[in-house]
Amino acid sequence: MIRIKNVTKTYPNGYVALDNVNLHIGRNEFVYLVGQSGAGKSTLLNMLYKAETPSSGDIYIDNIPLSTISAKQIPFLRRSIGVIFQDYKLLPKRTVYENVAFALRVMHFSRARIRRQVTQVLELVGLQQKMYNMPSELSGGEQQRICIARAIVNNPPVLLADEPTGSLDPETSWEIMQLLSKINSRQTTVVVATHNKSIVDDIRKRVIQVDNGHVVRDEQLGMYNK
Amino acid sequence: MLLRDIGFFLTEAFISIRRSGLMAAISTATIGVSLIVFGIFLLISANISNISDFFSDKLEIRIFLKESISAGQISSMKHRLEAMPEFKSVTFVSKDKAWRDFRKGFQSLDLTDLVENPLPHSFKLTLKDNEQIVKTAKYVRGFENVEDVGYMGTIAERITKFAAYTRLAGFILVSLLTLATLLIVVNTIRLTVIARQDEITIMHLVGATVPFIRWPFIIEGALMGLAGSCASVAILSPLYGMFVVRIQEKMPYIPILQEDFRLTLIYLTLIIVGTSLGIFGSYISVSRTIKNPS
Repeated sequence: MIRIKNVTKTYPNGYVALDNVNLHIGRNEFVYLVGQSGAGKSTLLNMLYKAETPSSGDIYIDNIPLSTISAKQIPFLRRSIGVIFQDYKLLPKRTVYENVAFALRVMHFSRARIRRQVTQVLELVGLQQKMYNMPSELSGGEQQRICIARAIVNNPPVLLADEPTGSLDPETSWEIMQLLSKINSRQTTVVVATHNKSIVDDIRKRVIQVDNGHVVRDEQLGMYNK
Repeated sequence: MLLRDIGFFLTEAFISIRRSGLMAAISTATIGVSLIVFGIFLLISANISNISDFFSDKLEIRIFLKESISAGQISSMKHRLEAMPEFKSVTFVSKDKAWRDFRKGFQSLDLTDLVENPLPHSFKLTLKDNEQIVKTAKYVRGFENVEDVGYMGTIAERITKFAAYTRLAGFILVSLLTLATLLIVVNTIRLTVIARQDEITIMHLVGATVPFIRWPFIIEGALMGLAGSCASVAILSPLYGMFVVRIQEKMPYIPILQEDFRLTLIYLTLIIVGTSLGIFGSYISVSRTIKNPS
């Protein structure tokens, strides 16, 4: 599903965020990306949905090299990749329903189809009762659920999560990770960049550790630390 | 753009106008005020050209011929004048006809003392382009057998010059105003784009294409332009009506435009120009601020 080939990312100031990284993530896999802050996790995630581009090397999603995707085609790539963030990135002046429907509006879906899909996904993340609330009226965990709902409402084959539990308490974090596992079981490849040791240790999956721009460990059912 | 997107874009545009409130109101008002000035210029210009046309129909060159001229010479001069491209019409007025017309026109005068017809043969000429009247009159003055040439030179010159000056002044004024209005629209839309930067980032993230993101802003500009221009017409039209009534009371002989299709055309022009300004201004703004990611 995702193949990263000899990818190096050097910033204009000379800082090397990733150094000759090679990775393969199979279809429907669930992967933790761990490592210290500044290790290169976020850079790697950003490159997967073309928010950043490698300085050299290439990334293949579904065998399509991202280097061949022009700026005009990026929106179409993003429709097949859901992304969730630590800070949720929600529209504060719109209801839960509107926030999720937004992702389908840009794809020119019909009103009826939007309604059907949004209702379904809100049920999946457990927010069907709060459809017409504003995000500010909801807890952090619930806001993260909106963000997840928005990311998966279009059933993308890939879901990327950048520190999804970074602002949440342990119990809520655990619920969010359960939700991500559930999404993974519905034929979605999930990549989670995280600092959350207890989550990684409790919900055991493949662990890829990045340090100083290098992949230093790639372990099935690994722990947060070696 | 799909049909079902239009509703979404319109809603987004209205939300944006409501949020940017004062700025949108100022922009709309600026468009309105500029268009009122634009409209005043168009109305003045249309009236001047109407007056100019009115007098133009009466503008003519009169060639008075020498007493000694023969019928053959008259005929050859007529052919020569008819061959000149400057003239719209060439009419020969005989001595007798001139005399009859004169007596008909001035019936109150006692002309019994005049035993002989004092008027000469003449040609009455109208021009295709009235601006050429002076030049042409001087030219035909040089013809053989011409005693004198008469034309409404000064009035003709003044009217055509005045019309040309107002057109030039109006053009400069309107260009400057259009530029100023455009800059204000560009800035207003840019501010609303900046205010909605977070939303735009999210739209990029969920896979919105650049045109999809831009459309609501362009519609917002169009709505502001439409509102501003409709307001300008709503103000200008009754004002002009009042002006017409005043003029007609005081100077009924001035042929002023009223209930004319040209007025409708002017108001329609204002609305089209206003809306286009809104669209063009916001297009410039969004094409500079909303671009493809990376």
